[in-house]
Amino acid sequence: MLRKTLTEDSFYLNLGPQHPSTHGVLHLLLKLDGERILECKPLVGYSHRAHEHMGQNRTYLQFLPNTSRMDYLGGLCYNHAYCLAVEKACGIEVPERARYIRTVCAELNRISSHLLWFGAYLMDLGAFTPFLYAFDDREDILAILGEVTGSRLTYSYCRFGGVNRDLNQNFLDGTKAFIPKLRKRLKDYRTLVTKNIIFLNRTKGIGTVSAELARDWALTGPNLRACGVAYDLRRAEPYSIYPELEFEIPTATAGDCYDRYWVRMAEMEQSLRIVEQALGRLPEGPVKAAGVPQWIQPPAGDYHFSYESPRGHLGIYFVSDGGRVPLRMKWRTPSFSNLSILSEILPGTLVADTIAILGSIDVVIPEIDR
Amino acid sequence: MSDGILVDLRVIWEALVRFFGLEALVLVIGLVVILAWVQVNALFLVWLERKVAGHIQLRIGPKEVGPFGVLQTIVDGIKLLGKELITPQPVSWLLFILSPIMVFTPVLVAFVVLPFGPHLIIRDINVGLMLIFAFGGINVLSILMGGWASNNKYALLGAIRSVAQNVAYEIPLLLSAMSVVVMSGTLSMQGIVEAQEGVWFIFYQPVAGLLYLIGATAETNRAPFDIPEAESELVAGFHTEYSGMRFGLFFLAEYTNMFIVAAVATTLFFGGWRGPFLPGPWWFLIKVYILIFGVMWVRWTFPRLRFDQLMNFAWKYMIPIALLNLLVTALVMKLVR
Amino acid sequence: MSFLEDITPVLAQRFGVENLTAQDRARHGYDLRLALDQERLTELVGLLKEAGCYLEYITAVDQGQVLELLYFFGRYDQPPFRLQVKVAMPKGVAVPSLAGIIRAADWQEREVFDMFGQRFAGHPDLRRILLSEDADFHPLLKDFKPGPEHGGEVVNLERK
Repeated sequence: MLRKTLTEDSFYLNLGPQHPSTHGVLHLLLKLDGERILECKPLVGYSHRAHEHMGQNRTYLQFLPNTSRMDYLGGLCYNHAYCLAVEKACGIEVPERARYIRTVCAELNRISSHLLWFGAYLMDLGAFTPFLYAFDDREDILAILGEVTGSRLTYSYCRFGGVNRDLNQNFLDGTKAFIPKLRKRLKDYRTLVTKNIIFLNRTKGIGTVSAELARDWALTGPNLRACGVAYDLRRAEPYSIYPELEFEIPTATAGDCYDRYWVRMAEMEQSLRIVEQALGRLPEGPVKAAGVPQWIQPPAGDYHFSYESPRGHLGIYFVSDGGRVPLRMKWRTPSFSNLSILSEILPGTLVADTIAILGSIDVVIPEIDR
Repeated sequence: MSDGILVDLRVIWEALVRFFGLEALVLVIGLVVILAWVQVNALFLVWLERKVAGHIQLRIGPKEVGPFGVLQTIVDGIKLLGKELITPQPVSWLLFILSPIMVFTPVLVAFVVLPFGPHLIIRDINVGLMLIFAFGGINVLSILMGGWASNNKYALLGAIRSVAQNVAYEIPLLLSAMSVVVMSGTLSMQGIVEAQEGVWFIFYQPVAGLLYLIGATAETNRAPFDIPEAESELVAGFHTEYSGMRFGLFFLAEYTNMFIVAAVATTLFFGGWRGPFLPGPWWFLIKVYILIFGVMWVRWTFPRLRFDQLMNFAWKYMIPIALLNLLVTALVMKLVR
Repeated sequence: MSFLEDITPVLAQRFGVENLTAQDRARHGYDLRLALDQERLTELVGLLKEAGCYLEYITAVDQGQVLELLYFFGRYDQPPFRLQVKVAMPKGVAVPSLAGIIRAADWQEREVFDMFGQRFAGHPDLRRILLSEDADFHPLLKDFKPGPEHGGEVVNLERK
């Protein structure tokens, strides 16, 4: 086999589905000339679990736990998005306090997702230590969220019309202590990683995506904002309490790996701001709307809802015929589109860059495969 | 009773000396001692690495087996010994089996000329430094053999990277060592240490010293130069297909190599076994372990370089600087003498 | 002037005002629905691409004899704009592929093919994307009933 491939100029390398840097079961079929990539074909679907099919065979409430299993890093965001989508279709009003609580939890979840990405990305680049630092911080968030949601990764905390239970004192104290701690740690990361010359060499000018290319491939989320497009659904199509909060949308200009890194790091700081503001204004009141029907039956019609997940534009589309079970349940997951751009930007780079680019796009494979 | 055994031993010893000659006997005993020492030292270094990494990473490292987890690596070694040696079907089995053995041989030879103390050296030959570098070259060969024989694309890529990297970094390594040789006027390891009476060479040759340390890190495939086995890119690089104690040999060789380059650095630049109060061997070991600690510190701090950046660094910066340094050294020495 | 106000008359003029329906964004999440004949799909998408839209996703709904293909287009600016293009036709009829115009359509069309068996004419690489290559079923069609060979039985809830 080896002899045959070597007599030719190029050979194929199966990067994955089992590989330390594909973060799950992604399979990249690379055509290589030495270490230079001539062609790349991402192959997905190894962890397809038929979530859309399940959605069409379950009642709306029964499908709720599925949502956090799609993107296991942003589970609470998916939870939140699904509840918002169904509430909008049914016209359920959510109490003020519940809206604040959901936002706080979703933003904490976003930070934990970005933290994990940060650690894993640096590990892809060969620096092992930031990974454990990031996990140390993430552990705090998981403990805080576990305090109210009862789970660490696959949450089912949001309910139609509110949340499962009210915040407790441990959550409030934990978050208050966590915010300054992470701010300090982000400063450490800046000195340890962001200014590191090797890191800059590995990421600057690598995997450049222009805004035009990004639109062609339907990139969203931090990957898009790194190309200079300030498109954040929390601002573009505001939902929940985001219009009342002050935060910025960090953008960069070059659209390379470094910019994608920088945007996510800046987003963590903005998320901290959101959490701080929302907790400061937390109103009193009930956390669950009264009079939510036992059987959710949205009026016949189709409904779309857009949500800014940690990885980009999460679209939920469902068609109701007025019954208890949706006719169609479609999830537009951001990583699906974000990953497909690899076949465009990888050719011409080196194997080492493949890892740097793949990591910087921040894909979660189960979310692609659904 | 015990007296009897001693007498017997002496008789045997004298018979052996008469038969083989004293020198050969010392060499054999030395090699046996080295073999034991290499193993113990490598195990200790693995433990040290884990402990250092642990503390750098806000954790404590191994702590369950033995005091401070010292015995952890021994247990791991036993585990490796107990594992099945898998030889994949499509490999070139002779090269595949030879490679881990060959990677370990030059490591042992280098220990022959390392001056642990004023008298603690197995053979002080007058081309000691050359011997170390010459045998160090075999290392590359065995890695290439292993990577090629594995019949695995990751292993092959790792081997190719390794060869290119080692060839590139051996040159500045040698050139910086040559600067020291020009100053001391000898290739004998013991002679180099003696030439550093008073002032260590690192103060005369800071550039060479720095180049040597960088080159040595690359030579031993340590992060940030660990591209031949870059875990996140090439799975495990050239030893992807190796299991059990064959992998263990690669692993031990890596740590022993680390000891050797640190020991050579100590000899060339940091005065070898010289130092006040403590006997020579103690100073030697202390200096070597301090250097190794530095190498570990670097490993757990920096990301990995990319392959072409690594090559650029060697050919465009290190080699010209090393050459210039050697030239200036030679000129100055000519003028001074 | 918002993009929505700009594009509505253009679409109404070129594709027929009777095909264009304004939707309540607050409830349905999108602004316009355009019912379209499949022959004019590439023309419309070319126009939308020129206008700076991006393809959010493609999906389909099985309506018995008819398969409704739904294309969602959005824009990266404020105020938000979302257009749903609805192409309804009998099952088994191929639809022109958009992969040559908008690259993001490549994977989206593969997914629709995978789930609904819808063919796209001119697609460069129309293979299954999420399911395994040897699968002989299209799971999101309503006549698909998962049996033991698909990993167990799914209990279908009785519709009210």
